[in-house]
Amino acid sequence: MKKLISAPSLFMGAGVFLVVGLLLGFWWAPVDASSMGFSQKIFYYHAPIAETALVAFGISFVAAILYLRSQDLKWDRLGFVCVRLGLLFSVMVMITGMIWGKASWDTWWAWEPRLTTFLLVCFLYIAYWVLRSVVEEEQRRATYAAVFAIIAFIDVPITFFATRFLPEGLHPVVITTGDTGMEGSMFASFFISMIGMTLLLVALIRSELVVESLKDRVADLKHKIGG
Amino acid sequence: MSSGRQFMAILRKDLIRELRTREMLISMILFVLLAMVIFHYAFTVKEGADLTFFTGGMLWVTFIFAMLLGLNRSFAQEKDERCLDGLLLCPVDRVTIFLAKTAGNLIFLLIIQVVAVPIFTLFFVQRSYAGDLLQFLIVLLLADLGICALGTLLATISMNTRSRDLLLPIIFLPLIVPVLIAATGATTLIFAEGASFGSLLARVLFLLGFDAVFMVAAYGTYDFAIGE
Repeated sequence: MKKLISAPSLFMGAGVFLVVGLLLGFWWAPVDASSMGFSQKIFYYHAPIAETALVAFGISFVAAILYLRSQDLKWDRLGFVCVRLGLLFSVMVMITGMIWGKASWDTWWAWEPRLTTFLLVCFLYIAYWVLRSVVEEEQRRATYAAVFAIIAFIDVPITFFATRFLPEGLHPVVITTGDTGMEGSMFASFFISMIGMTLLLVALIRSELVVESLKDRVADLKHKIGG
Repeated sequence: MSSGRQFMAILRKDLIRELRTREMLISMILFVLLAMVIFHYAFTVKEGADLTFFTGGMLWVTFIFAMLLGLNRSFAQEKDERCLDGLLLCPVDRVTIFLAKTAGNLIFLLIIQVVAVPIFTLFFVQRSYAGDLLQFLIVLLLADLGICALGTLLATISMNTRSRDLLLPIIFLPLIVPVLIAATGATTLIFAEGASFGSLLARVLFLLGFDAVFMVAAYGTYDFAIGE
């Protein structure tokens, strides 16, 4: 079991799902009937990346609460790793979103609710990173980071609501409550990509955590030999 | 001492300390007036341009930046004179400290607004909104509360770090954007078109929700933010 969920097998699983999802998205799912046409294909990556970014920030939120309850630094490490990966995925959301925007609305950037929310989310978690870098003492840094991670994650849906007050956006509402607005084959391709992306996140978290603990060990050893 | 009396004691201390020197208030009011002049030159792109439509945005940008100044100040004194250590040694609930500090900052912000709003109105708003004053005050108070509660919590964190006043804007501004969006939208509606309660309801409820959520979040985390 342990071998099955080791980082390499997770990476492999993620790769398989992502490739299958992409192939299905391009060849099985029909070309979108609306004005977006072929450019809608990027949706099979764009949306799963967005979902994965939010999952990463969600994990960092839970890790922050667990840290404040237990004061155990392993939760702080998990939180920081998740924020870093969440940021990486958020940047990818914006890049793929901009490419899609250029293809279907002929503009690289539109101040529309979802893109704007992700931009602000990026700033929020960059701020988290800056906050970590200006506190030296480990326990204190972890505490402040946890408090900020909690507030930041609460702010994400609030920002999304607030951006709804802005003038109407262009973003297609692909998934609404009730009708998904997608055909079965489109949804299946999307869902497979989503599983792949989530597996990729888990794999990355695992390997990053290993790196972090190795860093700690190196620091310990250095300390022991008086370096 | 009951927590109500503790709250009043801390609030009184903050107010007395500020009113003795008036350092912070005077510089904040000056900042607001200067911002107005800067905005005037930045936005008057042609002769006789009507800035009514931008006034809401200008006001909230000014208040948020003025608040940054004030927040840095109010905690720098606490830290430099080691007042905070004394305060933390007292048998006072941390949440009471948070509420008192928030109330103090709210009062300072309101003082600034009493000066700023009439002047901005006089210079920029070319339409009377006297009939909508009540709506305006509600929006103002709700947005102020959100700004002060979140600002107080984050200033508490930033004052304990190496780069205090550099850090505060970086962590405060992205979090306060929702308030800015809702408050600016509502204020612009009131200034430019006149707004009934109905048309403002969504934004007012949003601000109310924001205040409630972050009060609860601050209540839960302030113990950790202020340190031992």
